[in-house]
Amino acid sequence: MDLGSGPAEAGKVKKDALDGVTLTFASYGGIFQDGQEAAAVKPFAAESGAKVLSDGPTDYTKIKTQVDAKNVTWDVVDTDTLWAKRECGKLLMPLDTTIVDTSKLPKGMGGKCSVPAMSYGVVLMYDKKKFGGNPPKNWADFFNTAKYPGKRAIPGIPSDASPGALEAALLSDGVAPDRLYPLNVDRALKKLTSVRSSLVFWDTGARSQQLLESGEVSMAMVWSGRAYAAVKNGAHFAPQWNQFLPVSDSLAVPVGAINPKASMALINYYLGAAQQTKLTELTSYSPINSDAEPKIDKLAAQYLTTAPGRQAQALKVDNVWWAKNQEQIIQKWSDWLAR
Amino acid sequence: MTALMDITSPATGGRPRKGVGGRWGWLLLPAVALLAVLFLVPLGLMAWRSITEPTPGAGNYSWFFTSDVALATLIRTLAVGAVVTLVTLVFSYPYAYLMTVVGARARIWLTLLVLLPFWTSLMVRTFAWVVLLQDNGVVNQLLGTVGLGPLQLIRTTTGVVIGMSQVLMPFMVLPLYAVMSGIDRRLLDAAQGMGARPATAFLRVFVPLSLPGVGAGALTVFITSLGFYITPALLGSPDQALISQQIFTQVNGLLAWGRGGAMGVVLLAVTLVLLGLVGIVLRFTRTRGGAR
Repeated sequence: MDLGSGPAEAGKVKKDALDGVTLTFASYGGIFQDGQEAAAVKPFAAESGAKVLSDGPTDYTKIKTQVDAKNVTWDVVDTDTLWAKRECGKLLMPLDTTIVDTSKLPKGMGGKCSVPAMSYGVVLMYDKKKFGGNPPKNWADFFNTAKYPGKRAIPGIPSDASPGALEAALLSDGVAPDRLYPLNVDRALKKLTSVRSSLVFWDTGARSQQLLESGEVSMAMVWSGRAYAAVKNGAHFAPQWNQFLPVSDSLAVPVGAINPKASMALINYYLGAAQQTKLTELTSYSPINSDAEPKIDKLAAQYLTTAPGRQAQALKVDNVWWAKNQEQIIQKWSDWLAR
Repeated sequence: MTALMDITSPATGGRPRKGVGGRWGWLLLPAVALLAVLFLVPLGLMAWRSITEPTPGAGNYSWFFTSDVALATLIRTLAVGAVVTLVTLVFSYPYAYLMTVVGARARIWLTLLVLLPFWTSLMVRTFAWVVLLQDNGVVNQLLGTVGLGPLQLIRTTTGVVIGMSQVLMPFMVLPLYAVMSGIDRRLLDAAQGMGARPATAFLRVFVPLSLPGVGAGALTVFITSLGFYITPALLGSPDQALISQQIFTQVNGLLAWGRGGAMGVVLLAVTLVLLGLVGIVLRFTRTRGGAR
C-alpha cells in the first residue's frame, strides 16, 4: 500500500492507493450517517479504490468485544469525544499525523487518538409564546422556576454523563463560568435536587425533540441538531446561545484494526473542506474544517456553532478534566437519577 | 422443578404424565444443544466475569449489596413485575373466560385482538403509549374535557405498569385460554344440579381448575417483566429505573462487565429463589386441596 509522498492534506487521497482494501465504517445511523457516507465515505471509496462497508449504530460494548477478541471488524468508528479521549491507548489507537492532517481543525479540538467528526452544541431552548417578551438569558434563568414557570427538560441518560446539566446547575448556584472546573459534582447534584420536581429527563435525542414539539416543557437543554429539527417541524421554541456547551463526535481507529493506515487515510479524507461543506449541507451539523463554507437555509444557519460570533458565547468546557473523571461521574449521575 | 413443570403444562392436572426419557429423548437434542451454545455458555461467561473482572474476588457482589441504589432498583423491579402480573391477570381472566363461552366466529375475533398487538413491534406499541400518556396527550385531553385531568401518567411507575401490562397481556390470555377451553363445562352443570348457585359453582369448580393456566401465565408474565428495558426506559422516569436499565449503564456506559454480570447473576438467583417458593406453595395447596 502506498499512500504517496509528502505531508498529508485533509480531504485528499492518492488515486487508487487502496485498491483491494476493504474497510468498515461504523457510526450512529440515521440522517447523520447517511450524510457522512454521501459527503466523505463513498467519494473516498471511489477515489482510493477501497471498498468501504457501513455498519452501526456505534456500540461501545461491540468495540470492546472486538478489541478483546482481537477480531476487529470496525476500521473507523464514530464515537463520543469524551469516550474517545478516555479510551485513547486502551481501545483506540493513536493517530499517525503524517497520514491525518489536523491543521484545519478548529482550535483545541481533536486528541491523540481521535479527530472531531462534526460539532454541535448543548443549547438552551425556551418557549417563545411564554417567554418571548423576556427570554431567559443564561443557565441561571433556566433553573429560576419562580421567574420562568413550567417544566424543564434536561439530559437524563443513566449510562452517560457529559458536559451540560452539571455545569448549568453550578452556574445557577452562583459559580463563576471561569471557575467551574474541577466540577463540584455533589454541589451540582444538590442544586438539581432542589428543582427536581420541575425537571423532565430525556434519554435519547428523539425524545428531547418530541418534548419540544409536544410543548410539554417550557424550557429545555438539548443538542442543537435536535433543537433545529424541532423548530423546523413547527415547535414554538427559540434558542438562547449564551453559555452553550460545544460538543462533538469523534472519529477513531480501534486497537487491532487490520489496516490502520487505510483507516487513517479515510479519516484524513473525511476532514477535507469540501467533504465538511457537504456534510453540513446534508445534516445541519457544524463543519470542523475552518475552510468549509456550507450553503444552507437561514434557519439551519442559526443553529451552526460556526455562525459568526457564536464561539464567543460558548462556555469553556474542560474536556480533559471530563475525560479523566467521566467514569466516576457516570456512576454518581446514574445513582442520582435512580434515586 | 417438577412443581413448576406441572403448572406450566396446560394439562388440567391429574392426568398421568410420561417421562421424556426412553426412546424419544433424542428429539430434545437440537433444543438442548441450542440452549447450551446460545444460552448456557454466555450465561456462564457472564457469571465468570462477575467474579474475575476487574480483579478476582467478590468485589462486584459486595458493591451491589452495599449500593442502596442497586438494591432499591432490584426491589423496584420485582415489585413492578408483581403489579404487572396482577394487572394482566385481572384483565386477562375475564377476557379468556369470554373466549371460552362465545361462538366460534367471535372467538376468532377475540383471539385476533390479542394477537394483533403481539405481532406489532414492541417499539411501536411503546411509542403509541407515549403519545397517549404524555402530559398533553390523548388520555389527558379526554380527562381534561370531563374535568378530571390532567394526571401525571408518563414518567411515572403507573405509566410503566400500563405499558408493560398491555405488552405482556397475550402471555397471560393465551395460557389461560388454553387451560379454560379444556375444562369440562358439564362439571359446572353437575355442581349446579347438586344445588350450588352459579357463582359458587364458578368459584369452587371452574376457578380451581383454571389455576394451572393462572400459574403458567403469571410465571411467564412475571419473569418476562423482570428483563423489560425499552418500555420502562420510554414510559418511566430515570428515578424509577428497573434493573435492566442499570445493567445497561454498567455494561454499555461504563464497560464494567463484571458489575453488569454480577447484577445479572443476582437477578437470576433471586428469580430462581422466588420460583422455588412459588413451587413449594403450589405443591402445598395441591396436597391440601385434595377435593380436586
